[in-house]
Amino acid sequence: MTLVMEETAVATEAPISSAITAMSATDMYAAIMDGSVPFILDVRNEDDFDRWRVEGRANMNILNLPYFEFVEDEEASLDMLAKHVSTEEEILVVCAKEGSAQYVAEILRDAGYSVSYLKEGITSWGDLYDVRDVVDGEYGRIIQIARPARGDLSFVLISGGQAAIVDPLRHIDFYLNSINEAGATLTHIFDTHAHADHISGGPDLKAATGANYYMHPYDAIHPLDMLPATISYNYLHDGQTFQVGQMTIKTIWFPGHTLGQVNYLATTPDGGRYLFTGDGIFLQSFGRPDLGGQGERWTPILYESMFHRLPPHLTDDTYILPAHFSQQDEDGGNGIFVESYATVRGQNEALKPRSLEEFTDYVLGSLPHFPEEYVEIKRVNAGLSQPDEEAASELELGRNICALS
Amino acid sequence: MSIQFDEVLDVKGAKCPMPLVKSRKAVNTLGVGNVLKVIATDRGSIADFQGWAKTAKNMELLEQETVQDNGQDLYVHYLKRTK
Repeated sequence: MTLVMEETAVATEAPISSAITAMSATDMYAAIMDGSVPFILDVRNEDDFDRWRVEGRANMNILNLPYFEFVEDEEASLDMLAKHVSTEEEILVVCAKEGSAQYVAEILRDAGYSVSYLKEGITSWGDLYDVRDVVDGEYGRIIQIARPARGDLSFVLISGGQAAIVDPLRHIDFYLNSINEAGATLTHIFDTHAHADHISGGPDLKAATGANYYMHPYDAIHPLDMLPATISYNYLHDGQTFQVGQMTIKTIWFPGHTLGQVNYLATTPDGGRYLFTGDGIFLQSFGRPDLGGQGERWTPILYESMFHRLPPHLTDDTYILPAHFSQQDEDGGNGIFVESYATVRGQNEALKPRSLEEFTDYVLGSLPHFPEEYVEIKRVNAGLSQPDEEAASELELGRNICALS
Repeated sequence: MSIQFDEVLDVKGAKCPMPLVKSRKAVNTLGVGNVLKVIATDRGSIADFQGWAKTAKNMELLEQETVQDNGQDLYVHYLKRTK
């Protein structure tokens, strides 16, 4: 049996009695990326699984079989599992923290499976940040900082000793470290819009560094509460430009997902064009227009932005760098969620030419559910609510649902 | 609320999966028709006990409540052995 050979191979590192290994979220993401992630057994309860689970490439296999099923009837649970996976395959057990995953992993090991568990549970996956270079040129760099579990993307631009961040996420150390390592100084913090799905790192970065934090003033009003933001920020306006080293950054107002959403177009000395679209155009979808509670009224505004306001700024070789992805496979295999506009136009259903009526039917006919916590997250981003770490983490649980579908 | 109970299982401080594992064993030692009061500090126990109750062979989840005790949340479950 091949398992024996594999165990022999690892025996020099670990005794067979401790054959259950802990896989870190970092290692799991590496395995997701190269398609080698084991069969995932998620042992949380069904509701938690339905709300949020590990997602990977199309070939990834995952099964939800709660740990309490194993507690209640071990044999029946193993029989159920055997219908989905053979003992020849490796299994990665996932739970909320890690206790239940270890518990089930021991049962599986004793039943002859080769098994590991996700170290520190799915929360460590949710908090995983992934940092990659998008561009490394003579004039500077563009770095993607992602939270893969949430489908959140943000970017750092570094040139001539200066640095800018677009759509910083909540854990600001990843940005400060990247900028420090490059020997640069943070000069500009840009939000494309007031986010509903995650807490912005903008105000904390401003407090930590004194850099200016830019946002469009329309997004400093909570759309449902109709209350003004209490955070300190710099007003953005359409067409405003900024210089970060040798990069020029132009603001393009793109209302629709929010009224104050903007895109930032960075141009580089070698003629490169990089459009940071926020929750405007994604690689395969776009930002839904209903999270402000005004879907029917904002859809025509989104239509205007998408088909008239933005196109004059786009060329086929303009790269699109969105704030979200929906599926890992959008990365083209390398963990970087950036494509040329020519590619995006060919693959993004939303960009198909449509009349306003057709577009309205398309958008309003396929809206996903509205997560209730999004109202509160917008309050946090406006400074109207101050959650502690635990509450902030709870608000951000799960994957973003900002795309149309 | 005043649910009548026969035994108490204190699993304060125990982390998942232990509150449920210990409750499973404790229910099996109850007399049929008797009720076990489980006191836990693991918040996840609320949803997990509900999920467990759906397929449990001899247990019915009668009630769940959250009570404050010296600033700490306690999650209390009442489990009845049905057969």
